[in-house]
Amino acid sequence: MGSEAKPALGSVLVIGGCGFLGHHVVRLLLRDYTCSVSVVDLRCTRNRRPDSDGVAYFEADITDADRLEAIFSQVKPDVVIHTASPPAQGNDKVSHALFKRVNVDGTAAVIRACQATGVKGLVYTSSASVVSDNVSDLINADERWPTVRGKDQTEYYSETKAAAEELVLAANRAPDAPKLLTCAIRPSGIMGEGDTMVLYHLINVYRQGRDNVQVGSNDNLFDFTYVENVAHGHLLAARALLLTAAAATLPLDHERVDGEAFFITNDSPVYFWDFARAVWAAAGSPRGTDHVRVLPRGLGMVLGFLSECFFWAIGKPPTFNRQRIIYSCMTRYYDISKAKKRLGYKPLVPLDEGVRRAVRWTLEQEKANNDSKAQ
Amino acid sequence: MGLAQQAIYFLFHPNQLRAIIQWKVWHEPVHKRDPSKETPTEKACFHYLNLTSRSFAAVIQELNPELLMPICLFYLVLRGLDTIEDDMTIDIKEKEPLLRGFHELMEKDGWTFNGNGPNEKDRDLLVHFDVVITELKKVKKPYYEIIKDITVKMGNGMADYALNAEHNANGVNTIADYELYCHYVAGLVGEGLTRLFVASDLANPKLLDRMELTESMGQFLQKTNIIRDVHEDWLDGRRFWPKEIWSLYFDKWDDLFAPENRERALQCSSHMVLNALKHVEECIFYMAGVRDQSVFNFVAIPQAMAIATLELVFRNPAIFERNIKITKGDACQLMTESTQNLRVLCDVFRRYARRIHKKNDPRDPNYLAISAQCGKIEQFIESIFPTQDPQKIAAGRRHPGEQPGMDTMDAVVLVVSCVAVMLLLGATMIGLAWLMGANMDKMVTGLGALGGNIKPPGSIADVPGRDEL
Repeated sequence: MGSEAKPALGSVLVIGGCGFLGHHVVRLLLRDYTCSVSVVDLRCTRNRRPDSDGVAYFEADITDADRLEAIFSQVKPDVVIHTASPPAQGNDKVSHALFKRVNVDGTAAVIRACQATGVKGLVYTSSASVVSDNVSDLINADERWPTVRGKDQTEYYSETKAAAEELVLAANRAPDAPKLLTCAIRPSGIMGEGDTMVLYHLINVYRQGRDNVQVGSNDNLFDFTYVENVAHGHLLAARALLLTAAAATLPLDHERVDGEAFFITNDSPVYFWDFARAVWAAAGSPRGTDHVRVLPRGLGMVLGFLSECFFWAIGKPPTFNRQRIIYSCMTRYYDISKAKKRLGYKPLVPLDEGVRRAVRWTLEQEKANNDSKAQ
Repeated sequence: MGLAQQAIYFLFHPNQLRAIIQWKVWHEPVHKRDPSKETPTEKACFHYLNLTSRSFAAVIQELNPELLMPICLFYLVLRGLDTIEDDMTIDIKEKEPLLRGFHELMEKDGWTFNGNGPNEKDRDLLVHFDVVITELKKVKKPYYEIIKDITVKMGNGMADYALNAEHNANGVNTIADYELYCHYVAGLVGEGLTRLFVASDLANPKLLDRMELTESMGQFLQKTNIIRDVHEDWLDGRRFWPKEIWSLYFDKWDDLFAPENRERALQCSSHMVLNALKHVEECIFYMAGVRDQSVFNFVAIPQAMAIATLELVFRNPAIFERNIKITKGDACQLMTESTQNLRVLCDVFRRYARRIHKKNDPRDPNYLAISAQCGKIEQFIESIFPTQDPQKIAAGRRHPGEQPGMDTMDAVVLVVSCVAVMLLLGATMIGLAWLMGANMDKMVTGLGALGGNIKPPGSIADVPGRDEL
């Protein structure tokens, strides 16, 4: 944006603003917008801006409705960006309870706080996985695709994200609080600085020398999204909600942002294993593809099943299972025309540059950890 | 290549032979010119068309009668211009007014030109250019105006390049220069063709509002040729690869061809391929706007050849050693596939996008960008012909299919007998289908691979060359 006048967003509250996505949202707010920024997070020590940036930090558990409302009353946000969510790892009762508590109950508390304190716009970080049943391909899916709920949804995390998204969208112009406008952003495969999931796992695969196997034909396209682009999508949505709130008339259906969900990607689906190899190359792999052996999907499923049996027998969670085979062979990419048209969204950082930055950060973290261990 | 050698090649590449036979036997032109009704000058024009064009001659002569003569003449006029421009024995002082005034010369009854050097391969056309002029007078006014307008632009563009000492000494510098050059040699032709297609109501008039689509059609063909011909051009002392790209990899242009620099040269070439691939979506979009089958064939064949050529040159070190071409069998198969409909043509593009992605090398700095561009092509095709329907997906979830139960024994008997019958039927039908020319390339490729290193015979149906226009 630079020389142009930065758009104003008034008072912005970022929930989960010290998290992976949240702290990029904060960074972009400071860089690209004129606004005052506040952050609510469980812990506000990591990913904290220097004091000179003037960000107000509040430590709170979002399921604590009273505390949340008190903070809202103090900050008086015009717009709230709700990015808080636990890491999508774990498939046991404890993690399920956490998903439900933070994603569903926490979001409900955020909505109530917004409604009670006259917030104009709420942007919720949903997930592109809400339309996935974790088995079927998603080929150029857009917002017309139905969300997968209940027993069709095999990932409980996605179920809770979808439930929360439903709450958020239902709160748009709700009869008892018609002033609040809401929308949901559904990012796919977020990666970037601060990511401890996607790249961390991929680089581990390379470090353990397991980059010599490719499951499936590698014709399956997948959407990975650089985190700054996701943050950018959120802020475009926030701005659109504020503009809608200020407008005298209701928006036309095909221009509407409030009450809508938007897929956000890098707008460049890539072949699944190509992405992995790009990460490995950025992490220093000198290898091409000559050493790669292709494991057919069917055989992979058999091995995955055997692994599950083995780990079941020794009573540990499997490190390798059929779901991982399925994911690496699944086509899962999205058509983001809606975000482009209605939000004016366009990725700020191309995918290859995003991978370079993200890998550099991951390697730096790794080095810092090793150094601190060595001391 | 000797007959025996060819026989051995085809023995190990039966699908190549099959594709050739399939094209020769089954290709039914949408329109055929009728020489019995043609005037002597018309006949003469087609004679020169066949003489001067290797690859456009056939498709032009299958065009809709409405555009048959206009496009044939359009081609000959541009070929005439090109023959003057190419001839280094003509002094620039004489050449410039000829190029800039060609649109006036082509209106002078009986004008001919025999100033070309004796070795200029197409000099005959200009020696007998009066036949072209005679026929041009009969072209419908709107079509003629388009041909004339492009001739003016092309002549001036050629004159500018001929006078441009910097360009002639050092070649193309920036990517913008590169694309401007491609505009003059291919984009302008495309502009003329699109205007002819729309004027004759054989293409959607909206194409005129989106001239960038037309431009991409020309850019894609031209860039592909420039990448493919890099070695030949280098030998001729010409350079069309923009310095802006190759200087990222080399300080000196000649280093690109040094055998010890192959890997780096390949990376440079994949940068060029990536630059060309960005036009594919617009090319497909353009072809979706064509209404007439013969026009579709006319524009689709060169495009299909271009994507196949791009796949052939991608990460292929041979381009720095010699001129390479797609095999004649592949060319015939591509012609068969690009004379059907947009859907079949999209399958061709997807197939080659995937092949390019399979050849991609993670060590290449353009690796992920190329993967993303191939993905973009697939996504674009998906947006025209979607595989999934959200309504059906939603309906499927609401009413999950319930299967009635069945005894185990019954099931086993049923399955075994079904499998037996299907195998028998299947084998018979596949055999029959293959004989009749169905597509089973994947099954045959496995066998073909046994043939290993036997070289294909030289290709006849090439991608339209820049040497032609």
